[in-house]
Amino acid sequence: MATKYFPNEPTGPKVVQFPGPISTAKKESLHKVFDSRATYFVVDYKKSIGNYIVDVDGNTFLDVYAQIASIPLGYNNPALIEVAKSDKMINAIVNRPASGNFPAEELEETIQDLLAVAPKGQNQVWSGLSGADANELAFKAAFMWYQAKKRGYATAFSTEENDSVMKNQSPGSPELAILSFERSFHGRLFASASTTCSKPIHKLDLPSFNWPKAQFPSYKYPLDKNEDANKQEDQRCLDIVEDLLKNWKCPIAALLIEPIQSEGGDNHGSSFFFQGLRDLTLKYGSLLIIDEVQTGVGATGTFWAHEHFNMSPAPDMVTFSKKFQTAGYYFHDPEIVPNVPYRQFNTWCGDPARMILGGAIGKEVKSNDLSAVCKRVGEYLYGKLEALQAKYPTYFQDLRGKDRGTFIAWSFESGATRDKFLTDMKQSGINMGSCAETSIRLRPTLVFEEKHADILLAAIEKVISGY
Amino acid sequence: MLRPIKHLRSIRAKRFLSTCESYFPDEPKAPILKTSTIPGPKSEQLNNELGEIFDNRATYFVSDYYNSKGNYISDADGNYLLDVYAQISSIALGYNNPELIKTAKSDEMTNALINRPALACFPSTDYATILNEGILSAAPKGMNKVWTALSGSDANETAYKAAFMYHHTKRRNGDFSAEELESVMNNELPGASDMVILSFDKGFHGRLFGSLSTTRSKAIHKLDIPAFNWPKAPFPSLKYPLNEFEAENRQEEDKCLQEFESIIKSYNGKVAAMIIEPVQSEGGDNHATPYFFQQLRKITQDNDVLMIVDEVQTGVGASGKLWAHEHFDLPSPPDMVTFSKKFQAAGFYFSNPELQPNQPYRQFNTWCGDPSKALIAKTIYQEVVKHDLVNKTASIGNYLFSNLKSLAEKYPILNLRGENFGTFIAWDCKDANERGKLLLSLRNKGINIGGCGDYSIRLRPPLVFEQKHADIFLSALEDALKEL
Ligand SMILES: Cc1ncc(COP(=O)(O)O)c(C=O)c1O
Ligand SMILES: Cc1ncc(COP(=O)(O)O)c(C=O)c1O
Repeated sequence: MATKYFPNEPTGPKVVQFPGPISTAKKESLHKVFDSRATYFVVDYKKSIGNYIVDVDGNTFLDVYAQIASIPLGYNNPALIEVAKSDKMINAIVNRPASGNFPAEELEETIQDLLAVAPKGQNQVWSGLSGADANELAFKAAFMWYQAKKRGYATAFSTEENDSVMKNQSPGSPELAILSFERSFHGRLFASASTTCSKPIHKLDLPSFNWPKAQFPSYKYPLDKNEDANKQEDQRCLDIVEDLLKNWKCPIAALLIEPIQSEGGDNHGSSFFFQGLRDLTLKYGSLLIIDEVQTGVGATGTFWAHEHFNMSPAPDMVTFSKKFQTAGYYFHDPEIVPNVPYRQFNTWCGDPARMILGGAIGKEVKSNDLSAVCKRVGEYLYGKLEALQAKYPTYFQDLRGKDRGTFIAWSFESGATRDKFLTDMKQSGINMGSCAETSIRLRPTLVFEEKHADILLAAIEKVISGY
Repeated sequence: MLRPIKHLRSIRAKRFLSTCESYFPDEPKAPILKTSTIPGPKSEQLNNELGEIFDNRATYFVSDYYNSKGNYISDADGNYLLDVYAQISSIALGYNNPELIKTAKSDEMTNALINRPALACFPSTDYATILNEGILSAAPKGMNKVWTALSGSDANETAYKAAFMYHHTKRRNGDFSAEELESVMNNELPGASDMVILSFDKGFHGRLFGSLSTTRSKAIHKLDIPAFNWPKAPFPSLKYPLNEFEAENRQEEDKCLQEFESIIKSYNGKVAAMIIEPVQSEGGDNHATPYFFQQLRKITQDNDVLMIVDEVQTGVGASGKLWAHEHFDLPSPPDMVTFSKKFQAAGFYFSNPELQPNQPYRQFNTWCGDPSKALIAKTIYQEVVKHDLVNKTASIGNYLFSNLKSLAEKYPILNLRGENFGTFIAWDCKDANERGKLLLSLRNKGINIGGCGDYSIRLRPPLVFEQKHADIFLSALEDALKEL
């Protein structure tokens, strides 16, 4: 597909000077008006193509980070250019509707395109604008659902509820919680940051809801040699979840989890663990929300990562953003729609321009079976990384992501070595990202193929063999 | 041969064309009604289908945006309504504005759409320029930096985050303590904060968890959602007409100011910031005088409380100033000003560099804004300047207001508000029931209009609303009032 989409894609990276002078100057001048301290380099997106990102100094990097895992089909994908120039898109941009009040005639069709790639068991959608937004909207739905279960879906609010809520007090603003996991990442607005538990810097100095954290399994690798120990680890973590569901100081409306904890270090859980969570949430009357913001849309070898787990019944809500370019949550229980209108509501209720793009991305992924491509390329890449691991074991600890497409990560012995590795990789023309304290993660686009993998592998070996 | 003639014609014609006519030569001359009630049958049918997959119970009617034009919104049944609600106050330059279409079709836009950057890590070459020529050119007096977000709620919450981090950083000498680093992972003090944001009774600031905790407009916005137990202060209830109740109103404002000051002084904990709308919009278009806002600014400064002005609904021209708080002549600029809606792009303005957290990755997320919206904001701002739309809106607002004042002598238009405040006008009906009737009756006469508060009606037309539109609106309103 890469060749078909991008006949002119570069055949390899090229580093002229990094960091380059223009990038440095531009970063500084941007900082006068917009905080640019996290900037890696300033990008010329018009020149970037396919798997290659080009900076203002003419450095060309093979990009296996892809805007923090959010570019699905490569830079300047021609299929998306066509969509961006379509009348439908122009209309959506210049006449952005308040879709909750004045939906466009074509909104249904736009949403049907998103539903065409919905996870198994999901048939409705509510749209948001970012990963944090998608999760928080899902929390709101969960809280309203939970109270409706208690009160009766059609029962009116009491006077006491109506009065107390205006003072932000219970019972109108009830004390309820979302249960998440240590090392998880779900966003950085106030409620999503309360569920995020990856690094202090994401959370410090913000008021937060005192919501509980369970433990996410820490497996021993390689998985096939540690099955018993890992199964015990699953059970240990499930017991903690059950204890919290039973004993936390307030009711838990929903449990929130990533199929693979991404920012928190690419931590994996087994099908057994996820099915265990599904069973526990059913047993204790909480909803199960799967956060597919980073894992969704093909990279793991299935369109949605949680499909690897074959959970039954399907999760109650699945949130998305990033590679889908549009954000929101899927669901299927009609009672997850609040009992009266204007409860799940805001000015725009999503962004049709981004939804149209999401629909088009879904179609491209499906029609070109890009999930299968990720699976195939991931297997190839993983095999080669295993070989490198055998050769340089210190620099490839806990290689993770077997059978998870290109969603691969591994760890270093220290953060310092990891950081040095990332810098050296950039000098070798690879733009790569880290996660947690000592890991690196691969997050290429869905048009990353064996030839790109070879370039990546050669660069990795060149850098590591020099250590 | 043809070309120069056409050119000449357009120049000659231009002199006589209003901004709206030059943008929309074929804007309908009046509402066009194809069905006896709105929503019509096709709208109903489409809406029923949509309801299967998307919560659409708040739908007024299903719109046909392709055929909407200027001040007129078209629906699935082919009706054209004069739109004085404009997507809950978020359409700046009318539907299908040709200049926005140009921007939407540009290569910059395509690039921004399909190569959406993680702006804080990998900004595009032109992001600084786009901001400088658009959003920052439009900055309120005293503001020279921006943090971009995606909606009004998001803009406010990122501003709150900035406020909390600012105060904690000021109080902390140097690095985070081990205890802070550890406790924050359990969502506990001292790593998590017990500081608060103060808001005002009847204020509306959005519906995510932090913003919803500051929203105080209606119970239905808040019920069943856990909230931070943050304080609220009273917002003045002014008596109208203002010139007849100056003394009473001053007294009322002083009372509210005293209470505000007493809350922040006696609060058991730190009030990091207060947030206020220049006009409380969702909460009923409640105004306060410049005096009230000037005093608030003084009190906040004296007490080290940051002042966030929420211009999500009031911003971008409709009030007859680009930013509504510019009416108030504050002794010093607010600390942050948030925006969204009509600007299409969202975020907050500020000037104090310490409102940028002391380390990167604290105010952060994947996208940190959206360059495609920043491009639209830039065009909106440039068009507003080019056509002097703020001043035009101020004068059309005066025309509208004086005519409404005349109508108010004959009909139940109560507590008319928004004098000298552009088209940002509202009034009260006798009760919710009568408001409902009036809104429906107006819709069936071809006016799309919205309510606010419990029994008010608000006007939120775009900035290309002109005298001829005002006349159509006024005459439909008079008919509707007669029939009540
Ligand atoms: C799993 C997960 N959820 C939520 C988010 C938050 O998304 P956003 O940055 O768009 O708010 C992220 C971002 O990295 C994520 O990885
Ligand atoms: C003053 C004010 N602030 C914030 C918001 C929230 O904006 P959004 O709906 O885009 O989240 C609104 C929306 O009506 C508003 O009027």
